[in-house]
Amino acid sequence: MIKIKEILFSLFLCILTVNSIQADTLFVNTGHIKSIKEAISRAKSYDVILVSKGIYKENNIVINKPIKLIGQDLPILDGEKKYEIITITSDSVEVNGFQIQHVGKSYTMDWAGIKVDEKDHVVISNNKLYDTFFGIYLKKTKHCKVWNNSLETTSVDEVNSGNGIHLWDCENISIVGNHIVGHRDGIYFEFVEESEVRDNISENNLRYGLHFMFSNNDIYDGNIFKNNGTGVAVMFSKNIIMTNNIFLENWGSASFGLLFKEIYDGILYRNVFQENTVGLYADGANRIEVKENEFIKNGWAINILGNSQDNTISRNNFLSNTFDVATNTKTNPNLFEGNYWDQYTGYDLDKNGIGDVPFRPIKVFSYVIGKIPESIILLRSLFIEMLNFAEKVAPVLTPETLFDESPNMTRIEYD
Amino acid sequence: MILLVVSVCTPKESPIMYGMEKCHYCQMAIVDQKFGSEMVTLKGKVYKFDATECLINYVRTNNIDWQDLSMILTNTLDKPGELITVEHCYFLQSENMPSPMGMFINPISKKHLALEYQSKQNGNIYSWDEVKDVVKEGY
Repeated sequence: MIKIKEILFSLFLCILTVNSIQADTLFVNTGHIKSIKEAISRAKSYDVILVSKGIYKENNIVINKPIKLIGQDLPILDGEKKYEIITITSDSVEVNGFQIQHVGKSYTMDWAGIKVDEKDHVVISNNKLYDTFFGIYLKKTKHCKVWNNSLETTSVDEVNSGNGIHLWDCENISIVGNHIVGHRDGIYFEFVEESEVRDNISENNLRYGLHFMFSNNDIYDGNIFKNNGTGVAVMFSKNIIMTNNIFLENWGSASFGLLFKEIYDGILYRNVFQENTVGLYADGANRIEVKENEFIKNGWAINILGNSQDNTISRNNFLSNTFDVATNTKTNPNLFEGNYWDQYTGYDLDKNGIGDVPFRPIKVFSYVIGKIPESIILLRSLFIEMLNFAEKVAPVLTPETLFDESPNMTRIEYD
Repeated sequence: MILLVVSVCTPKESPIMYGMEKCHYCQMAIVDQKFGSEMVTLKGKVYKFDATECLINYVRTNNIDWQDLSMILTNTLDKPGELITVEHCYFLQSENMPSPMGMFINPISKKHLALEYQSKQNGNIYSWDEVKDVVKEGY
């Protein structure tokens, strides 16, 4: 009898605990709960809050418990240009399916559409952010997902705009499938470790499409960076892996497809640089492997400054660039080998597919332009052609050791 | 005529065109009106930076003598967009307050404001002479 009582009691306990773990679903706007704030205050941990279509002007919504906040048919959260909209101050929160618009501007507070404040395991997905100062802002967080959001602002100058997805002091963050338009930096990383940026489109941003500062061991893969001030800037960082990205149409006097500044030990593999003023600009880039990339129709494919050492540039295709390589030194501390240069005029007598004479990708005229930018007007003139030819025959100004000893005769096909 | 020559050579500050000008040290566009800084040499040449960290590093890496500068100015948190002589500023270094170059140095123009920020965000307040030593070389 006592046994049965014990069993019954433990069963009762079980049911009790199961009940308390079980997530409830709260409905906003369809039932008697009228506001999201009210739903959050009523919710228990791990509840789901479903928000139906409508416009919600609830100034700053603080999510302070682990819940799922899900919008149905894209309900609108409006900050009326006065507030930050969602602030997450709990672990394990999910925000999915909202249109978040009109964040207030504050220069001291960095207000955002969605901010995660020192909490982990947050998922932000399928939201549409419009006219936010900062879009999604992660501060000191770990293990978060930012997936399939679209962020758009119409800011006109860099000063009065924030970054699209802004990460500061984070670890293990996954940023996948977002579309970011018109911010200061599309995606900004400062002190971010072990994180990935995949399959995003970042375009028409005023400064950089993607910006790394003091961030190590990160990867960006399969993104498109189009028509930004500069496509991607990797600065003061180590071990960044850059694969399968497209850098497109970053035009302007100080615009680059990809900018390296004080970085070490990276891999740049299978990317396409097309129609940029400068495809790749390397200022203090060291031990970077630049392999199997395509440089197509850029003003300069690569501009590599003298403070960049021990880089390997191999098996890339250089097609229809005005200048293939430029530099500002007379020595060459980098290795160029096995690339295809469409400006190569050498021959291949032994028919092994590799040119018999080395290719010197630096034209003397690119030096002249480096010193006197206005001289670009002389490009394609007979005088310049003669100058280039003379330098090719007897190098004086260009680095004697900068050449590709084994230039490919045909465009390299990547599988 | 002499007046003209003199006026050309007199070192004077020049406003920062935010978003248009690049930092002389780190190449980044100067965008944040709370952190920009500039120095003017005795000959009147102006160098602009996106943060005081960059200015200090530039001076150091190029072995410029601080005595050769006629003016050193910075933006501040409390008066964004205004350039103020660094000797009149307080520099709050707090891990809770990011700055453009990752060294958490926030210039503030008034001492009581600096103390107010410090009471909320912790950290240390430095004078200009002290902050020069706080900035580590080369990031």
